[in-house]
Amino acid sequence: MNEGKGRFDIMELIKKVLFTDFVKGLVITFGYNVSMDSVITVKYPDEEKWIPYRRFRGLHTLNRTADGRELCVACELCSKACPTRCITVIPMEDNTGRGISDRVAKVWKVDLVRCLFCGYCEDACPTRAVRLGREYELACFDRNCAVKNREELLRPQPVPEEMSGGVVAKARLRTTPDGIEVVADLSETRKRRV
Amino acid sequence: MEQLFFYIFAFAAVISAILVISVRNPVHSAFFLIVTFMQVAAIFILLRSPFLAAVQVFVYVGAVMVLFLFAVLVLDMGKETMKEHLHGQSIPAGVMAVILFLLMCYMVVKGRIVANPGSYGEAALVNNTEVIGRELYTRFIYPFEIVSLILLVALVGAIALVMQSKGKEQGK
Amino acid sequence: MPDTATILTVIAIVVKVVIATMVIFSLPLPLTWIERKVAGHIQVRLGPWRVGPHGLLQPVADTIKLLFKEDIVPAKADKFLFWLAPLMAMVPAFAVFAAIPIGDTVMVPIINQEIALYIADMNVGILYILAIGGLGIYGIILGGWASNSKYALLGGLRSSAQMISYEIAISFAAIGVVMMSNSLSLVEIVRSQNHGIFSWNFFYLPVGPVWFAIFFIGSLAEINRIPFDLPEDEGTLSSGYITEYSGMKFSFFMLAEYVAMVSVSILAVIMFFGGWNSPFPFTIGLPSILADLLALIWFFGKVCFFIYLFMWLRFTLPRYRYDHLMVIGWKILIPLSLVTLLVTGFMRIIG
Ligand code: SF4
Ligand code: SF4
Repeated sequence: MNEGKGRFDIMELIKKVLFTDFVKGLVITFGYNVSMDSVITVKYPDEEKWIPYRRFRGLHTLNRTADGRELCVACELCSKACPTRCITVIPMEDNTGRGISDRVAKVWKVDLVRCLFCGYCEDACPTRAVRLGREYELACFDRNCAVKNREELLRPQPVPEEMSGGVVAKARLRTTPDGIEVVADLSETRKRRV
Repeated sequence: MEQLFFYIFAFAAVISAILVISVRNPVHSAFFLIVTFMQVAAIFILLRSPFLAAVQVFVYVGAVMVLFLFAVLVLDMGKETMKEHLHGQSIPAGVMAVILFLLMCYMVVKGRIVANPGSYGEAALVNNTEVIGRELYTRFIYPFEIVSLILLVALVGAIALVMQSKGKEQGK
Repeated sequence: MPDTATILTVIAIVVKVVIATMVIFSLPLPLTWIERKVAGHIQVRLGPWRVGPHGLLQPVADTIKLLFKEDIVPAKADKFLFWLAPLMAMVPAFAVFAAIPIGDTVMVPIINQEIALYIADMNVGILYILAIGGLGIYGIILGGWASNSKYALLGGLRSSAQMISYEIAISFAAIGVVMMSNSLSLVEIVRSQNHGIFSWNFFYLPVGPVWFAIFFIGSLAEINRIPFDLPEDEGTLSSGYITEYSGMKFSFFMLAEYVAMVSVSILAVIMFFGGWNSPFPFTIGLPSILADLLALIWFFGKVCFFIYLFMWLRFTLPRYRYDHLMVIGWKILIPLSLVTLLVTGFMRIIG
């Protein structure tokens, strides 16, 4: 018993003297260093763009029914539920069939500077009108452009709801008058290396 | 040429040595002491003793002064710079300084300033590591051993002092 | 009127000094890029990518940024030492190169002159390098103290204690090399290893590898690289002694660190791996110019390997705890080097 323990210690000592643990670690990192496949970088703005999963909580979207009527009934529940009070809803009457009821939102705007993307608004919404979408390029040059209003949020999303996401898509950088944007080509995607 | 360099180094050495004792901030003192040591090392090189120069830099500047600084850095600067360092010992200190000065004057006057290279010749002096080593371990073996013994005693003494104060602390 | 030979020697020295200084000054540019690339790939990412092809112009961009950055001096800093410290870190790192040879004397064909590939072959070269190299520490200590910041001060303190502990081990390793090669001059040390790979000091069995391990670990600690970069440990000291430095002063510290890394790599090659000698014990009768070129290639190949090794270690190993660092220095390296010194002495007497 004792002898066995002694031999064990000697092996440990030899290992320490020969720095075997260090060498093992060095071999692993060297493997990473030389193999190009292991690189997990997404070449984001120039060549690729990350398409998030459906569960992602990005910029708000206001949705419509299949026949194009607005789901929002301007009940203001979202603005009440919001912990940072960043949603402003002003209702109005409209019986032209714009919304699913006669009460629609005259103003529906969210101040993204204050929003913390908690998703409470979408939980509060009785008609599932407001959802947090997958748009995440929200940087802009002044505070006014960080306030997104109804018209903008009602626009169809660049990433369709059917797409489950979680892929890296080919993309290119496009310069527009209001800045730059990264346009993803959703037909050409790859899985992310982990 | 050589004399010119000697005077440059000597001047810098003296100036910085004066600064060592005249500046109030201990870290600045330590810094000027480093400068002094460097100048002395340079003078060693002028005296064709590169080995001594390198050892001077290595031991004094490289190790001793680092230890000095280490100790000085942990002082409370605010108080240290203000404090009177002589604690009323200025009279005995002054007497000692005068005696030391006279002694050094005597040495300078009496001593041979121009030394001859001895039996080794000019070439050996340039390549003098070997010479120093051989002399140290043959002719000067006793002084050498005594010096190392004294250092050892100092070492043990330092440890003993620390152990003592540790023991006292535990006694409390 | 001095004769032409003297004038030529002086010119050669001046040219060599200028070239060496310029090369050393520009060394950090490629080195930072390489280091960041190595870091990137070891951490399975790309490293610098956006400035220039493969991020090649990143160091230039960094330099420009550092040049134009505001040079902040803390209000309660010791102005004089705060200003001097970066220089005190940088000057020794450069001065070391005065004694570092990168090759033996070569015959340059066009001007038909013998040119020595070193600035000065001092007969106390190895001591000079250790002594001057050790001075760089004052930049760290005084910089740390002068910043008047607790992080910087602690960085300086750690650095000085670390330095004292490991310099002893390194000096022992140097003594070991001196014993194995029988000279203090670096050129002579290389010349003593010119009979192929088994004449290299590393293969002076059984003590060679031990000396190398002591030297390598010690120099890792001396140049403050991971796993021993306690003086600038971001985890506990934000940036240690360089916390308060910005702009060019900061870059001087970085410059000193990179130059020190290069000089330690060169020293390792010279002291243990045969310098510019090839690992083969025979010569193939090349024309002298090609042989000289080959020697340079061997030398730089080996040096590059060591530089890579330093980076490789940096991104592989975690940082040591401070008391572990002290234990390694005082309780392992120093006793080990004393024993090895004894063994080496016996081996010299017997063999
Ligand atoms: S995500 Fe949260 S913070 Fe943002 S608007 Fe909705 S409820 Fe308010
Ligand atoms: S988005 Fe939903 S919760 Fe908010 S006002 Fe419209 S219907 Fe109500």
